[in-house]
Amino acid sequence: MLLLIFSSQLVTAQELFVYTEPASNMATKSIGFRLNNFFMDDLHSKKTGYMLIPEIMWGASKRIMVHADAFLSNRNNGFVAEGGSIYTKYRFYSVDDVHSHFRMAAYGRYSFNNTYVHQNAIDLYGHNTGYEGGVVATKLINKVAVSVSGSYLHAQDNGSEKFLYGNKSRNAVNYTLSVGKLMLPKEYTSFNQTNMNLMVEMLGQTNLNKGYSYLDIAPSVQFIFLSRMRIDVGYRYPLITKLHRTSPESFLLRLEYNIFNAY
Amino acid sequence: MKKIFFVFTLFFAFATQAQVKDITIQASGLTCSMCSNSIFKALQTLDFVEKVDANIKNSSFGISFKPGADIDFDQLKAKVEDAGFFVASFRVTMNFDKLTVNNDAHVNVGKNVFHFLGVKDQYLNGDKVIRILDKGFVSSKEFKKNSKLTKMECYGSGEEAGKRVFHVTI
Repeated sequence: MLLLIFSSQLVTAQELFVYTEPASNMATKSIGFRLNNFFMDDLHSKKTGYMLIPEIMWGASKRIMVHADAFLSNRNNGFVAEGGSIYTKYRFYSVDDVHSHFRMAAYGRYSFNNTYVHQNAIDLYGHNTGYEGGVVATKLINKVAVSVSGSYLHAQDNGSEKFLYGNKSRNAVNYTLSVGKLMLPKEYTSFNQTNMNLMVEMLGQTNLNKGYSYLDIAPSVQFIFLSRMRIDVGYRYPLITKLHRTSPESFLLRLEYNIFNAY
Repeated sequence: MKKIFFVFTLFFAFATQAQVKDITIQASGLTCSMCSNSIFKALQTLDFVEKVDANIKNSSFGISFKPGADIDFDQLKAKVEDAGFFVASFRVTMNFDKLTVNNDAHVNVGKNVFHFLGVKDQYLNGDKVIRILDKGFVSSKEFKKNSKLTKMECYGSGEEAGKRVFHVTI
C-alpha cells in the first residue's frame, strides 16, 4: 500500500536556541527584529554593564539567512555604539522526516568594534573586530532538539585599539552543545497558543596560543506568542575560567518579532 | 459514422477532464508553531489559493482554490521549501470524469500528464484522492523506494518531451 497514513504524532521540538543558532534557517522573504539586552557585572570596575544589540534577520532564500546587528554599551563613557557585525548561514544538508530532521549548515561572521580590547577571550558579539567561520549540526526528534557547533575565530585590532595579547593569541576555536525541549503546549491546536521551551547550552572557547579555555553553562526559557513573537530569558554562568574575561556571567533578555512574506 | 465519431470525441474530451477540488500537504521537519506559521503564510501568497487551513498538530495544510484557477502543484511545493521545510505528503482530491487508468502508463489529465504507479488498472469516476510521488513531493526515502515501481526515465526527471509528468498513486 503506497498511501501511507501518517500518524498524528506532534512534529515539534525546540531548536530556536537562545545562545546559538541552529542549522535551520528562517523562511524565505521573512524578516525578524531582535532586541538583545545583556546585563553583566564587570569584575574590574564593579559596575553593572549593559549591552544592547539590535539585530535584523533576513531569510534570503530557503538555504541562506543573514543577520546584521549593532553593539551599544555603557562600558566606556556613557551609552554609545561600539560596532556591529554581519552574520550569514548556509544550510547545506537536510534529512527531514515527519517526526525528525537532521540538518547541517556553515556560517560566518564579520565583526567590527572600536572599543578598547579588555579581555583575552575573543568575542565577536560585542568586543572584538574579527571574523569567524564554522559548522553547525542540529538533530530534532519529536519534542527535543540537540545541536552542536564548532568554529574558528580570528581577532583583528579594534581600529586604533590594538589587540593586546600577542599575535599568537588572536586565534581561537568556539564549540557549543545545545539541548532544547518543548514544554508547552502539550498539544497544538492553534497558532495563537503560547509555546514554552526550556534549554540548556554549553558554550566554550579555547585560545589556540596556550590552550586556555572557558566553558559556560547557559540555561534559558523561551516563550513564543502568536507564532511570531519571542521572548528569551537566559543566564550564562562560567564553569571553567582559565581564559580571561571581564564579565563571564551575564543575564540575557531578548525580544524578537518576525514578519513572514515581508516583501 | 459521423455520429459515432462525435460520441468518440466527446468521450475523449471528457475523459481528459479532471477538476482539482482541494489539496492537503503534510510538511516535514517542523519545529514549532512559528515554523508552521511561516508555511501557512507562504502558501497564502499564491494567487490561485483561496484558503489555507492549518492543522498544526499534524503539520498539514488543507488548501482550497479560487474557482477556475490554474493550480500549479510545483509552486505549492516550492512555497513549503522556501519556508525551510519539505513536503512529506501531497494529496490531491480530484473529480474525475470517466478516466481509464493503467498501471505504469501515462494519461493526459487537463494540462498535465499523470503517470500512475502502484495501482490496478481501473476506471476513475467522481471524487478520488491521489497522492503525488515525484521528487520533493514525498520524503527522499520514499522517493527512492518507489523507484522500483517503474523503469521509465520520467520518474527521475518529472518530464517527458518537455511536458511535466506527475507520478501519482491512488
